[in-house]
Amino acid sequence: MQTDILTVGLVSLLAGAIRMSIPILLPALGEIFTQRSGILNLGLEGIMLMGALAGFGGTFFTQNLWFGLLAAVITGITFSLIMGFLSITVKANQVIAGTALTILGTGLSTFLFREMFGIQKLPPQIESFAPLQIPFLSDIPFLGPVLFNHNIMVYLTLLLVVCSAFVLEKTPFGLQVRAVGENPRAADSKGINVTLVRYLCVMIGGAFAGLGGAFLSIGFMNTFLDGMVAGRGFIAVAVVIFARWNPYRALGAALLFGGASALQMRLQAIGVPIPHQFLLALPYVLTILVLLSVSKKAEFPAAYTLPYSRSER
Amino acid sequence: MLKENGIVKGFCHSVLPAVVTIALAFGVSALLLLFSSHSPIEAFSTLLTSAFGSPSRIAEVLIKTAPLMVMALGISVAFKSQVWNIGGDGQFTLGAIFAAFVALNLNLPGFIVLPVSFLAAFLGGALWGGLAGYLRAKFNANEVITTLMLNYVASYLLSWLIRYPMIDPDGHGFPQTSLLAQQYQLPIILSGTRLHVGILIALMIVLLGYLFWRSSLGFRIDLVGENEEAAKYCGINVSKTIILTMVISAGLCGVAGWGEVVGVQYRLLDNISSGYGNLAIVIALLGNLNPFGIAVSSFFFAALLVGGNTMQLMEGIPFSLITVIQGLVIVFVISRVVYTQWRDNVANRHFNRGAR
Repeated sequence: MQTDILTVGLVSLLAGAIRMSIPILLPALGEIFTQRSGILNLGLEGIMLMGALAGFGGTFFTQNLWFGLLAAVITGITFSLIMGFLSITVKANQVIAGTALTILGTGLSTFLFREMFGIQKLPPQIESFAPLQIPFLSDIPFLGPVLFNHNIMVYLTLLLVVCSAFVLEKTPFGLQVRAVGENPRAADSKGINVTLVRYLCVMIGGAFAGLGGAFLSIGFMNTFLDGMVAGRGFIAVAVVIFARWNPYRALGAALLFGGASALQMRLQAIGVPIPHQFLLALPYVLTILVLLSVSKKAEFPAAYTLPYSRSER
Repeated sequence: MLKENGIVKGFCHSVLPAVVTIALAFGVSALLLLFSSHSPIEAFSTLLTSAFGSPSRIAEVLIKTAPLMVMALGISVAFKSQVWNIGGDGQFTLGAIFAAFVALNLNLPGFIVLPVSFLAAFLGGALWGGLAGYLRAKFNANEVITTLMLNYVASYLLSWLIRYPMIDPDGHGFPQTSLLAQQYQLPIILSGTRLHVGILIALMIVLLGYLFWRSSLGFRIDLVGENEEAAKYCGINVSKTIILTMVISAGLCGVAGWGEVVGVQYRLLDNISSGYGNLAIVIALLGNLNPFGIAVSSFFFAALLVGGNTMQLMEGIPFSLITVIQGLVIVFVISRVVYTQWRDNVANRHFNRGAR
């Protein structure tokens, strides 16, 4: 009997870890492209908030979750173009540009949500993505409910990990991205359009961040809340550095953070005698620790945060 | 004649870009208001009248100016040396916690407790920010992420403190500390309003900031920001300077938290920093990281905060419009370069045509 309770607890912990890792993994995957091309997009938080709003709004008005996702992707790309413009065309400082994007996204998502839905007693809700039990596999004891009882966005994200790794490592585009991030001048002399590749990478990052935001509003919850991204955009950046710009390692790192969030929730639920504020702070403390352990050794792309200009040396 | 020209030139270089930036940000927000079927003229006139409509209104603006000014000055110290302190909110919170702890537990006359709590607040902020500075200097940990994560940790720490160890025993379980005794509250300088002496202290700190950039430490910080390699070559200990920069920057943010506790709230509450951290970044950038520019910009944004609240109440326009304006201001501040690039291009073309 006791072991049963333990198993149930462990299953929900591990399944929760997977679920909670998705809103960090999605933006991290996109950010891998962006950073590999030499751009540090610290505006993920703002893009994710806009994506969360667009995903929710799109679903609410069309009553179709897929349109919600589409809206989130389009919004994410559009919003990331501001980052692209500031960091690539204007050659502005990327930290400041990212901060601008975060503040803008925070304000705009809240503003638009109020304007679209007003202030209501009950927040507007949608029917979010339901868990999809994979036939046979979800019946496997223990592993079934942990791995094969998630909504479709979870499976799609895992698929995107494989796709991202493939595109980055095995395709000509991936090679161009890496070349632009390591040595833009050499890439330029080989006829690679540095500006175009970087814009594309920022847009890929925007699309992924939009999806990550939408996962929160229509895949995990069923409504939009102000500031619901809660620092995950920044955690994703830490995950990218921790994963040394590799999608598979990003999966592992995101699971670590998902695990911390899920553990925090479980511990609260079973009522351990630790103040819940300390538990809530756990993922953020973990982010700092993780960043410490890798930053010294991490080999950043050589042209990291450096704008490229043909005329300057 | 020459002198006049100098003034005009100075105006064109420092004031005009800021004014154009603000005008652009308001222009885009006006479009946003039009799309959501509000009248921008009505909205902005409410904003203006409610910020400056009466002495007590102006007092409210000045009350908000003080912490913003000090914090933005702190942020500017870090930004000057290219250390990106995004953690103003957390450092403000730690400053507020330290200040409240001293003021609630040190049973001495006000003229001792107030300065001691001021120093404690500086220390609190400095510890929080210094930690991030240390991690950046020793472990190369990106300070944007560490300071931001520390914001969340600080807010949960505050939330725990005012619910358990520091809770007001007579507060019916309400999450706040007990009220500070009268003698530990900053004196009011304009009777009939809440305006306290904090604004004068803030102005003094800004003046000190002006002198600071002329000191050798200020120069060193500036040099590390301009060119780290050159600074190393000059024998400056870059790691130490980065930590020191963060300590000063975060200490000032902590001091802003002190003002909020002993001047405005008289106790600790949840979310005491109320998002001043982000706003301080916007102000520092709009003020061009210059102490006087920061003083003017912080007054402007304090007015927006006060006006924005009334605008929400009277016109039903969400307060978050003010946040949107903040974001737009940064976007336009850093996009200025586009204009100068274009101007240089035009100039080059003229020059080349002449040469041919």
